[in-house]
Amino acid sequence: MPQIIEVCPLSELPPGEMRLVEWEDLEIGVFNCAGTVYAIEDRCSHDDGPLVEGGLDQETCTVECPRHGSRFDLRTGKPLTLPAYVPVDTFPVLIEDLTIKLEVE
Amino acid sequence: MAVPETRALTENEQLAHINADYTERYGFHDAENYLYKAPKGLNREIVEKISEFKSEPEWMRAFRLKALDHFLARPQPTWGSPMMAEVDYDDIHYFVRASERAERSWDDVPEDVKKTFDRLGIPEAERKFLSGVGAQYESEVVYHQVHKDLEAQGVIFTDMDTALREHEDIVREYFATIIPANDNKLAALNSAVWSGGSFVYVPPGVTIEMPLQAYFRINTESMGQFERTLIIADEGSHVHYVEGCTAPTYSKSSLHSAVVELIAKPGARIRYTTVQNWSTNVFNLVTKRAVAYEDATVEWVDCNLGSKLTMKFPSVYLMGERAHGEILSIAFAGKGQHQDAGGKIIHAAPNTTSNIFAKSISKDGGRGSYRGLLEVAKGAHGSKSKVVCDALLLDDHSRSDTYPTIRIGDDDVNVGHEATVSRVGEDQLFYLMSHGIPEEEASKLIVNGFIEPITKELPMEYAVEMNRLIELQMEGSIG
Repeated sequence: MPQIIEVCPLSELPPGEMRLVEWEDLEIGVFNCAGTVYAIEDRCSHDDGPLVEGGLDQETCTVECPRHGSRFDLRTGKPLTLPAYVPVDTFPVLIEDLTIKLEVE
Repeated sequence: MAVPETRALTENEQLAHINADYTERYGFHDAENYLYKAPKGLNREIVEKISEFKSEPEWMRAFRLKALDHFLARPQPTWGSPMMAEVDYDDIHYFVRASERAERSWDDVPEDVKKTFDRLGIPEAERKFLSGVGAQYESEVVYHQVHKDLEAQGVIFTDMDTALREHEDIVREYFATIIPANDNKLAALNSAVWSGGSFVYVPPGVTIEMPLQAYFRINTESMGQFERTLIIADEGSHVHYVEGCTAPTYSKSSLHSAVVELIAKPGARIRYTTVQNWSTNVFNLVTKRAVAYEDATVEWVDCNLGSKLTMKFPSVYLMGERAHGEILSIAFAGKGQHQDAGGKIIHAAPNTTSNIFAKSISKDGGRGSYRGLLEVAKGAHGSKSKVVCDALLLDDHSRSDTYPTIRIGDDDVNVGHEATVSRVGEDQLFYLMSHGIPEEEASKLIVNGFIEPITKELPMEYAVEMNRLIELQMEGSIG
C-alpha cells in the first residue's frame, strides 16, 4: 500500500542540494536538480555506494557514485556508465504546500 | 633486472643469458632528445600543463582535474600483490613529448624514434600483414597509418589525442563511460594524465580483415606511460586489434597504467590481443573493460610475459541477449616477477555465453596468480559459462595462486569451473627423454603443449613470437 511521507520544506532543498531520507529499511536520496526534485534509492547497484555523498550534475541530471564512479540518471534510476549495470529504484515526488513529499511502498 | 650478487654463478650465467637477449632485442635505450619532459611527481600544475600542451577542450581539462582529486583521495590498493607497496608515484615522469605530432609518413618520424621502431620491426610488420599501425613512444603517438580502403569505408583509426581534436563529439559520447575516472586508483591516475593510445571506430557492417596494431615503447628511466584506448565497433562490424609493448631495462622502476574501453554494438565482434613484454623494471597496472550488446562478441587474448608486476583483469559486460565474451590469458612469471592476471565476465542479459581460459607458468621463484570473477545477474536466465584455469610450476620454489569468485543470481544457468595446478612431471620428462629428447628440449615441449590452446588463437606472426619468447624464458630452466 503506497504511503506519502514528508521530506522537508522546498526552501530547505535549493537547486544543487541533496539529502538522505530514511523510511523503514529504505534509504532514499532526494535531489534538487535545477529546480526539479527527484528521489532514488540511495544505494549504488554495483557496490552499495551512498549516492547522496556523490557528485550531482544538474546539467545532465545525474549523480555519480563516490565509490566507483557509476553515473545514474535521476529521472529513470538507470546507470549511464559501468561498473553498475542494474537500475536503482525511483520514487514519485510530490510538491504540496511548498513541501517535498515522496510516495513510498 | 639486476642479479643479486649472492646468487650462485651458474644461475647468474643463466639469467644473464636471458637478460642479454632482452637488452639486445628490446632493452636498448635511445639518447633523450625531447621537446618536453615533465619533472618527476604529480600535481595540479602538471595535469594542467598536459591539457594545455594538447590544446584540449575545457570539459577534458575539468575531467582530468577531477580525476586527479580522485587519485589523490584514494589509498593505494592493499589487495593483490605485496609489490603494490613498492610503487613510488613521486618518482615518475608523467609526461614526455618526443615529437610534434603523429606522422602519417614513416619518413617524417624523428630519426632516433624511427630507428627504434625499425629495430623492433614495426614498419616491416605493417607492410606484411596489418590493416593499420600506431606507434607510441613515451607519452605520445609518433606515427599512425591506416589502409586507404578502410578510410574510404569510414573506419577511423587514429591516436586518442587526434581523435579528441577531430572527432570530439563521438569521443565525448563514449569516453569514460565503460571505465569512469573514479573506478579505481589507477584508472583515476590514467584519467588525470592520459596521453596517446588508440581510437578506433568501425562503421556498421564493416569487417576489417587484417589486424590493426599499436606498439607501445617506453624509453626514459622512471617513466610513466598512460595511454588511453577506446574502440567502438558499430552494429555488425568486425575488428581485431593487437598491441605489443617493450621498454629498456633500467634499475629504477617505470609505471605503465593504461585504460582500455571496448564497445561492441549489436552483432559486432571485437578481438583485442596483447603481447605484453615489458622489461622487468615496469609496473604494469592496467584497467581493461568491454561491453557487448545483443548478439555481439568480445574476446580478450592476453599474454603477459614481461614486467615486474602485472595486475590486469580484462572484463566483459554482456549487456544484450545472446552476447558472448571470451578471455584467453597466458601469464609467464620468471624470477622476481608477479603476474597477477585473469578476467571478469558479467552476464547481465539472458542467454549470454562466456569462456575464461587462463594458463600460468611459474619458474625461478616467480609467482603467477589467477584472479577472476564470474557474475550472472538475476534475470540472465539461460546463460552458460565455463572457467578453466591451469597453472604449471617448473620448480619447487615458484608459486601459483587461484582466486576465483563466482556469483550466481539466477537459477536457470549453466556454469562450470575447473582449476588445476601441476608440476612438470618426472614421468612426462622421462617419457620424452626416453625418445632421445634432451631434458631442456623436453621441458620446452611440455610448456608449449600447455599453452598451445591459447597461442593457436594468435595471428601467425604473434604465435611465432610468443613461442620464441617462451623459449627464451625457458632457457636455463633445468639445471
